[in-house]
Amino acid sequence: MATNAYVPHAAGYVDNEGPKIVSSRFVHDDAFLLERSLATGGYEGLKKALTMAPVEVHDIVRDAVLLGRGGAGFPAGIKWGFCPPGKWPMYLVVNGDESEPGTYKDRLLMEMDPHQLIEGCLIACYALGLSQCFLYVRGEMALAQERIAHALNEAYEANLVGKNILGTDFSVDVVLHWGAGAYIVGEETALIESLEGERGMPRLKPPFFPAAIGLYGQPTIVNNVETLSNLPWIMVNGADEYKKYGSETSPGTRLFAISGHVKRPGVYEAEQGTTTFRDLIYGDNFCQGMKGDDELKMFIPGGASAPWFFPEQVDLPLEARPVGAAGSMLGSGAIVIMDESTDAVKACLRVVRFFARESCGKCTPCREGTTWEETLLRRIYDGHGRPGDLEMLLDIADNISPGPYPGAAWEEQGVEAIPFPPKQTTICPLGPSSVAPITSALRRFRDEFEAKIPQRTSIPVSAS
Amino acid sequence: MGYLQGFAVTFKKLTEDRVTTEYPEQKRPKADRLHGRHVLNRYEDGMEKCIGCELCAGVCPANCIYVRGKDNPDGDPVSPGERYGFIYEINYLRCIHCDMCVEACPTEAITESKLFEFSFTNRADAIYTKNELLVDDDGMPQHLPWEDWRPGEDEMTSGWMRATASSGNAAYEGKVAWSGELGYGVRAPEIGQSQDAPPADTSDSGAH
Amino acid sequence: MTDTQPETEASVTIVVDGQEVAARPGELLIDACERAGTYIPRFCYHERMKPVGMCRMCLVEVDTGRGMGLQPSCMIPVAEGMTVDTQSEITKKAQDGILEFLLINHPLDCPVCDKGGECPLQDQTMAYGPGESRFVEEKRHYEKPIPISDTVFLDRERCILCDRCTRFAKEVAGDPLIHFQGRGNQTEVNTFPDEPFSSYFSGNTVQICPVGALTAKPYRFKARPWDLEETESTSVADAVGSRITVQSSRNQVLRYMGVDSDPVNWGWLSDKERFSFEAFNSDERITEPMARSGGDLEPVSWGAAIAAVGDALKNTDPSRLGIIGGARLTNESQFAFTKLAKGVLGTDNVDAQLGDGLPAELVLGLPRATIDQACAPGGTIILMGPDPKETLGALFLRLKHAAVEDGATIIEVTPHRTGLGQYAAHHLHPLPGETAALAAALVAETPALDTAGVSADAITAARAAIAGDGPVTVILGRASVAESAAVIADAALSLTSIPGVRFLSALSRSNVHGALDMGMSPGLLPGRSTLASGTANWPNTPSTAGMSTAQMLQAAADGSLDTILLLGADPISDFPDTDLAERALANATVIAVDLFETASTDHADAILPAAAPQEADGSFTNLEGRVTKISRKVTPPGTARPDWIIAAELAMAAGGDLGIESLDDVWAQIAAVSPAHAGIDTASLDANQRDGVVVEGTLDLPAASGVSPAVADAYAYRLVVSRRMYDAGTILANSPSSAHLASGTALHLHPVDFDALGLDRGAEVTVSSATGSVSLPVEPSGDVPRGVAAVPANQGDIVVGTLIAVGDVATNVRVERGDS
Repeated sequence: MATNAYVPHAAGYVDNEGPKIVSSRFVHDDAFLLERSLATGGYEGLKKALTMAPVEVHDIVRDAVLLGRGGAGFPAGIKWGFCPPGKWPMYLVVNGDESEPGTYKDRLLMEMDPHQLIEGCLIACYALGLSQCFLYVRGEMALAQERIAHALNEAYEANLVGKNILGTDFSVDVVLHWGAGAYIVGEETALIESLEGERGMPRLKPPFFPAAIGLYGQPTIVNNVETLSNLPWIMVNGADEYKKYGSETSPGTRLFAISGHVKRPGVYEAEQGTTTFRDLIYGDNFCQGMKGDDELKMFIPGGASAPWFFPEQVDLPLEARPVGAAGSMLGSGAIVIMDESTDAVKACLRVVRFFARESCGKCTPCREGTTWEETLLRRIYDGHGRPGDLEMLLDIADNISPGPYPGAAWEEQGVEAIPFPPKQTTICPLGPSSVAPITSALRRFRDEFEAKIPQRTSIPVSAS
Repeated sequence: MGYLQGFAVTFKKLTEDRVTTEYPEQKRPKADRLHGRHVLNRYEDGMEKCIGCELCAGVCPANCIYVRGKDNPDGDPVSPGERYGFIYEINYLRCIHCDMCVEACPTEAITESKLFEFSFTNRADAIYTKNELLVDDDGMPQHLPWEDWRPGEDEMTSGWMRATASSGNAAYEGKVAWSGELGYGVRAPEIGQSQDAPPADTSDSGAH
Repeated sequence: MTDTQPETEASVTIVVDGQEVAARPGELLIDACERAGTYIPRFCYHERMKPVGMCRMCLVEVDTGRGMGLQPSCMIPVAEGMTVDTQSEITKKAQDGILEFLLINHPLDCPVCDKGGECPLQDQTMAYGPGESRFVEEKRHYEKPIPISDTVFLDRERCILCDRCTRFAKEVAGDPLIHFQGRGNQTEVNTFPDEPFSSYFSGNTVQICPVGALTAKPYRFKARPWDLEETESTSVADAVGSRITVQSSRNQVLRYMGVDSDPVNWGWLSDKERFSFEAFNSDERITEPMARSGGDLEPVSWGAAIAAVGDALKNTDPSRLGIIGGARLTNESQFAFTKLAKGVLGTDNVDAQLGDGLPAELVLGLPRATIDQACAPGGTIILMGPDPKETLGALFLRLKHAAVEDGATIIEVTPHRTGLGQYAAHHLHPLPGETAALAAALVAETPALDTAGVSADAITAARAAIAGDGPVTVILGRASVAESAAVIADAALSLTSIPGVRFLSALSRSNVHGALDMGMSPGLLPGRSTLASGTANWPNTPSTAGMSTAQMLQAAADGSLDTILLLGADPISDFPDTDLAERALANATVIAVDLFETASTDHADAILPAAAPQEADGSFTNLEGRVTKISRKVTPPGTARPDWIIAAELAMAAGGDLGIESLDDVWAQIAAVSPAHAGIDTASLDANQRDGVVVEGTLDLPAASGVSPAVADAYAYRLVVSRRMYDAGTILANSPSSAHLASGTALHLHPVDFDALGLDRGAEVTVSSATGSVSLPVEPSGDVPRGVAAVPANQGDIVVGTLIAVGDVATNVRVERGDS
C-alpha cells in the first residue's frame, strides 16, 4: 500500500522535552500504522474501558475535566451529559475540519497518530452508548484523510472497529467523511449541515444545540480531534494522573501550534495553566525566542479569530479563563507571533480578507460586512483612505459585533481589558471574528492606519 | 372744463412708447424659467433616456401622463438597461405644467421647453405621444406644424434649471449636476448663486 | 386555525415595548409582536415557511432572563415573562446596520425594477433604514436578468439572499432546483447547470421575493404597482379554488397573486393558476355572437343570435336536446342553465363532466372531507385519483406539507407513481381496470393475497396504515381516462367501510363541483338532490333521468339527438373517445357558449361569447364544497356577457322565464330549492370573502355496479392516459407564456418493458387498441409499473383518444416497433 511507503513529512512537529499525552508517538515515523500503535500501547485505553461500565468511563472523563480543544473550551464530560436520555439514535461527530489560520495541531494528530484518534472515538462511543461515529476531515488534508482511511481499514480488520469489538457486544461504525474545503464547516452546526449533504451553513442556536437536535435531527455530540485523542491516555492512566498536569481548572496538556517570527515554530505539547506565553515564545524547550532577537510587536493567542495580545500580555498563563478575562481567547491553540517589522494594517487586512472569503453568505452582517471591511482596509492600505474611514470601519465592525469588542489592556494609555466573548448580530462567530483584528489593531496602532490615510481636510471645490 | 384733462392724457400717451405688442407677429421675450411643452430627451449616442418607470405619471397631479414600459429588444435596445418607455403620452388638455414630472424623472428624460403656443382642433390631437415628444436626431425638440416656435425658444429648458443644484449651496456653484443632452451637451449652470452664502458643509461632498 | 375560533389554549404573557401582551405558547416572537400591533421588519421570515434567521433584519433586544441582548425575533418562541424592546437605541442601530449592509450590493435600479413601489426592501429602508449609505466602493455585478425557467427571470444583483425562494423550492414545492452557490459576498442564487427551475410552482417565488430579483415574464414591465387596482377573487384554473387577488390596470388584468386562505391554498398557487389570466386577455377571445351562414361563421347581433338559438332550443324535442359542459361557469350561471334546461326546456340531458369524471351521485353521496381534514396531522391519506401535482397544484402542496411536516401517511393507489409518490409511505399500483379489486382487498378481513398486480405484503402494510389512529381520507378521482369510472366508483364504495373515512373529490375541471351542486348532471337538481327528491317546483321538470355526456355523444352520432349546447366544453379535445366526439358534433346542431374558438366550436352553428371569471361577479364551489366569491375586475371584451344573462335571455327566447335579473335573484332561487345552500347569498359571500362557506349535505350513495375486472388479453399492456399540468387545453393554449410548456405526447414504459422493445429513447412505436392505433415516441420511465403503458392526455400533437372506447373497463393496447 502506497501509504506505507510514504515518508511522513511531519511538518510542524518539534521533538522537545516535557510531558507527552497526545503526541507521545510523534517521534515514530510510522505511528500511523497499527503495528507501531499496538507496540506503543495503542488501544490499551479501549481495552480498559471495555472492562468498565459506560457510566464509569463517562465519570472518569468528567473527573478529568477534559476541556474541549476546538476553541470554546467546554468540558467534554459535561457536554456528553447534555444528550436527552432515551432519544435514539445518537451520533458522535468528530470535528476534524481544522482550518483556523495558524492552527495545524489536529492535522498532525490525524496524520501522525490516527489510531489514537480512532481509539478516542471508540471510548467516547462506549461511554455514551453510541454505535455510529462520523469522522469529518477537512477537504484539503489529503494525507490525513489517506492515513485515517488506512488506519480505519486496519482497525476494522483487527476487529478494533466494527461489530463486536474485541469480542464484546460493543459495536461501532466509524465513517470517514471528507469535507469540501470550507472554513465555516469548523463551526459544529455547519459541519452537521455539511455531513447531511447540505451547504455548509451554520444553524441558529439556540433554540437547538446539536446535543439536543443535531445530525439528521438526532442528538449529536461534536468533539474536536485533540479532545478525543486525550481519551486513551486518560483511560490508561486515570483522571487523577491526568490532573497532575496543568492547573486545577485546566488540567492536562495541550498542543499549541506556533507560527510567525520565532526561532523554532512548530507544534508543542505544553501543560495548560502552568505554562505562559513567555515560556512558549522565549523558552528553550519551546520556540527559543524571537527570530533575530527582535522585539515582539503583537501576537494572536488563539487563532485568527482571537483579538490580539501585545508584549504586556506575555506572562499570562495558557489557560482559557485568564486569557478570556484579558480580552482574547485561547481558541484553537494557534499562536501567531509578529515582530516589529510587521505592518499592523497589512496584518489586519490579511486576516479580515480571510474571513471575508470564508463567510458562508448566510447572514447579512457577515456576508456584506466582512467584504466591506476588507475593501475599506484594502483602500486604506493602498493609500486611498479618506478622512473618517477609520470611524466608519469601527462602526461597520460595531454593526457586526455590537458593543465594546473584547481586547487587551494597554496600561500606558489607560485602556482596560474587555473580556471575551464579543456580542454578535450574526448567527455564528465568524462575522465577529473579522472584527477582532480591526479593533485590536486600531486600538493599539491607530497611528499606523492614520499614516496611510492621505491628510486632506476637504475636497477642493472649483468655482469655474 | 375738466374733460380737457382727459384729452391731455390721451395726447400724452400718443407720443409715448407703446406697451402693447403685435402678438403673434411680435413676441415678448419669455421668462427663463417658463414651463412649456415637454420634450423627451436622448443621450448623445441617440439612446432614449426614458426607461418607462412611470414615476412622472405617478407624481402628476393632473393625471395627464400615460406611460408603459417594455423589455428592450434584444440586440437593438431603445434605451440603456433592461426597460424602455414603450408608450409615452401627455394630455395637454390636462397638463398644468407644474414640472413635477421633470423633478420625478430619475434619468432626466423628460424636460419642459418654453413653448406654450400650440393649439388643436380636437381632443385626440391634444394627446402628444412619443412621436411628438421625442427630440430629433439632432437633439432639438421637434418643431411640429401646429406649434409656433421662435428662434431660441428651445435653448432654456427646465433641464437647464435643474442643471445647477437647487439647494443654493455655494459649494456647488458652477457644478453641473445634469448629464449631457444630445443637442446641447452639458448645460451651462444657472447664474446667481453666490460665494457669499454661508460656508458649505463639504463633508458629504462624496454624494454626487 | 382562524382568528374567529375561541381562544381555548393557554397563553403566555410577554412584555413588548412596555406593554403586556398575551401570546400563544410556541408562537414565534415576531408573530406575537405583529398580532399585538408591533411590526418587526423582516425579509427572510415567511409565516408559511420554517424560519432560518438569516437576514437578521428582525433583530430586537430581548430579555429571556439572561439580560437584554439582540436576538432574531423570527427564531425565538415566546416564553413567559419575556421582555422585548423593539424601539431601543440598540435595536435601531442594528436595524440601520443590517439595512445598510443589505443595500451595499443592491443596485438601487428601482425605477426600472418591477418591484419598485411594492418592495419590502424599499418600504423597510424608508421606515427603518439609515437614510444614507456610507458605501462608496464598487458594487457586486452580475449579468442582468437571466431566465431560470420559462416564466421566471432572476436578477442576481438585486438579490439580498434571504433564502425565501430557495426554501420555497425545497421545503414547500419539493423541487430543489435553485440553490445558493459561491461564498461570502459572491454568494448567489442560481439553478444548476442545464437544469432550469422547471417547477409547477415557480411563480410563487416571484410573489414572495422581498426584492425585484425574481420577476415573472407575464407581468414584466407591464405596469407599476401604483397604477394597479385589485380585487380578491377565486382562481378557476382548477378545482382547488385557490384565493387570489386580481390586479388590473387600465381595464386589463395584469397578474394574479396568491392570497393566504388558511383552509385552502395558504397563499400558494400553481403556475397554471397564476398565469391563466393571460388567456382571458388574449386577442383570440370571441367578442361577438356568431352564426353560421353559408358554411362560415359570421358575426351577428345579440338579438338575432339569441332569437335563433332560442328557436333552435324551443323547436327541438326535449329528449333530442343535450347540454354538455358547464364546469367553467360560476355557480349562478350553472344554476341559470340548469333551470333553463330542466325547468324551461324540459330536458334532463345535462352533464357538466366530459366522461373523464365520476358519477355525480357518488361524488355527492360520499362523506366529504375538507382539505384541512384530509391534511390533519397524523392522518392517513389514500390517493386514489389523478396526480395532484399535475392536476390540483395547490392541493398537492397541502398534501405534501401534511406528509412531510405533520406526519400524515400517504398511500398511493394509482396506476403509476405520482408527484406525491416520493412523500408516500405505501405505493400500490393496481393494474388499470383492477383498482376496485385492490380497494376491496384493502378493506377485507381475510389475509391479503396478491391482487391487481400488487403484492400481498404491500397490501398488508397499507392495511396497517389504514387501521391506524388517525383519520382516513381518500383523495378520489380518475387517474386515467382509459379506465372506466365504474371501476373507481366501485373501489370508492369498498373504501366506505373504513370507519370514519372521508372523501376529498379530485375532479379537477374548474367549477365542476359547483356544477354538480347546481344539478348539472343527469338525474340531479340543484342542492345535491335528485329528480325524485328535489324540491325545485319548476314547470317542465323531467321525471326520468337523462343522458350522460357519453350517452349524448353516442346518441348524436347515432342520429337520435339533434341539438347540443356546449357550455365552455370542448369534447373533441377533452372527451376520452375523440372519435366519438367528432362524429357526434358533426351530426348534430351545435350551439356553443364559450370564450374561445376550439376544435369543437368548429362544428358550431352558433357561438355566443361569454364573460371570463374576472369579467363577471359570481361564486365558485371548490372540491371541498366550499363556496367563495369570484369578483369582476374588468369589463368583458366586445359584447361578451355573463353566462347567466345568456341563460336568462335564451329562456325568454324559448318562451319561458327564469325569473332572474340579478345575482341576488339567483341566490334567492337557489336558497328556495336547495337546503344545502341555505344562508348563502351575495352578502354572506362578501362577508366570508376569504374562507367562503362550505356546503354540507349528501345524496344517497349509488349501488356498486359490480364491473368485472379487466382481463388481460393478447394486447399485453394496459393503457393509462392521465392529465398533466400543462396540456393543449383552451386556457393554456391561449396563454403565451404557458402554451409551449406541454411536454408533448410520448409513451412511457417501465425500463424493463422498454428494453424488451430494443429501441432507442424517442423511437417511434405503434400503439394499437381494439378501436384504433397511433404512432408515438417511446421513453423508459421508472414511475410506470410493468405491463402499463402511460401516455399524457391532450398534449395537442398526437391524438391518443382514438385508442379509447368509452365504457370499457380498461384499455388494452399492443406496443410494436416502428410506424404502423
